Amino acid sequence: MKMQRRGFLKAGAAAAAMGLAGCAGMPGGAKARVVVVGGGYGGATAAKYIRLFDPSIEVVLVEPNEAFVSCPISNLVLGGFKSMADITTPYKGLEANHGIRIVRDMATGIDAAKKQVRLARGDALSYDRVIVSPGIDFIAGAIPALASADTQARVLHAWKAGPQTVALRRQLEEMPDGGVYVLSIPEAPYRCPPGPYERACQVAAYFKAKKPRSKVLILDANADVTSKGPLFKKAWADLYKGIVEYRGNSKAVDVDARAGAVKLELEDVKGNVLNVVPPMKAGAIADPFITANKRWCGVDWLTFESQAAKGVHILGDSTLSAPLMPKSGHMANAHGKACAAAVVALLNGEAPNPSPTLTNTCYSFVSDTEVVHVASVHKYDTKDRTFKTVPGSGGVSAARNELEAGYALNWARNIWADTLT
Amino acid sequence: MIAIARYLAAAAAFAAGIAAAQQPPAPPAFAPSNLSSSGVRSLAANCAACHGTNGRPAPGSTLAGLAGKPRDELLTAMTQFKDGKKPATLMHQLTKGYSQEELAALADYFSRQSR
Repeated sequence: MKMQRRGFLKAGAAAAAMGLAGCAGMPGGAKARVVVVGGGYGGATAAKYIRLFDPSIEVVLVEPNEAFVSCPISNLVLGGFKSMADITTPYKGLEANHGIRIVRDMATGIDAAKKQVRLARGDALSYDRVIVSPGIDFIAGAIPALASADTQARVLHAWKAGPQTVALRRQLEEMPDGGVYVLSIPEAPYRCPPGPYERACQVAAYFKAKKPRSKVLILDANADVTSKGPLFKKAWADLYKGIVEYRGNSKAVDVDARAGAVKLELEDVKGNVLNVVPPMKAGAIADPFITANKRWCGVDWLTFESQAAKGVHILGDSTLSAPLMPKSGHMANAHGKACAAAVVALLNGEAPNPSPTLTNTCYSFVSDTEVVHVASVHKYDTKDRTFKTVPGSGGVSAARNELEAGYALNWARNIWADTLT
Repeated sequence: MIAIARYLAAAAAFAAGIAAAQQPPAPPAFAPSNLSSSGVRSLAANCAACHGTNGRPAPGSTLAGLAGKPRDELLTAMTQFKDGKKPATLMHQLTKGYSQEELAALADYFSRQSR
């Protein structure tokens, strides 16, 4: 009781310090405060759906960027078929439509004992429950040369849509015809399983149209294509013969930016543009909650509450994925809704939904006009306390097709609106 | 004799081992459907990623709006997707993840949303 009152007073003080105290619908009467760290597909969706499910709960979203930039569809920017503006959505809809307080700051730590989120600039934010949805970060030291800022600036990952997407597109534009683009893929699990293969298609489509003597060389740390394999391989053979070359079991162990080489265990592979996607882990803010392989955060799948800390819920790519659950934007959006429902139930003293369902749909553009999908439905297994795919459900496109390219762009518009407006 | 018996016993154990290895994994122990109002609301929230929040897609969307459509129309479409009677790109794959009772509850939910 005492703690709660103190927490409330602190929350009020923090709000006043931020100049928010006078805003409409501000606490006073708020039942509880949820702080959401990270405004991606997981966090922004959770913030919005908490307000939809229970408007008496105050929601504060901590996000350093002014606008959301989507990873899905960002490969089309690399292909030259979409612009950054096409994949960017401002956060202001969450504020205007749902009364979510957006704090434009970087969370620097979460104190689960004090129930506070520390910020880079502002005062700490007190919470009743915190939702942490930071996406991925890269494992330090996995590609040793990337410790240097100079190498980082030259060997891009472009695996978080934003400035690196723009910079990689520029490198591709500046590459002479006849050059080689090398894409290095880390071992699974990583964010967006089909993403690298879609990227290879998009860069190949650009080369085919503008630089036909150029090559796309895929160095995959995995033994074989990890998602939609037959569909991607058919696209490479049918559409990009002589442009795309795929090599499995080709794990990058380092890069040499000066020599323009990706270093594999037994050989160096040279290229004009090196796009090295390093192995991934949970976003850094979630480090204290990592429970598996020093990489991912285990959660209670009924509530998304961390296995390592009470009152801390973790979403999206940072979680230790359930079997056959992809680290995707669509899945993070589904996490956000299931977590929102659970947090609302818990804050109202009710039991969380014992039977949550999640879906995933992921479209990949194999050219500017043709798409392949993978879809799945995941339900909660009470015995193993995890999500499993429903037998007989889900699947991939029968073949690449133009109809689904239209659906894919509409999927993007609708999921951006569902997440952000 | 003893050698043969040992051989047979070993062979039987070997065969049993293969049988165990070949046995399909136990079927999932899924929780029973939650068809309470909050349970259906959560179930319906999954549809929103493609079809818009509460079944209201972005203006001009080529993906179907669900909000305010007649219940029977929605249920018939979903059932026909599931049974393979209505052509689809992926709805036949997704509807197979839901029981008939869940599809009926979803149809009911979206029919009651304002357009």
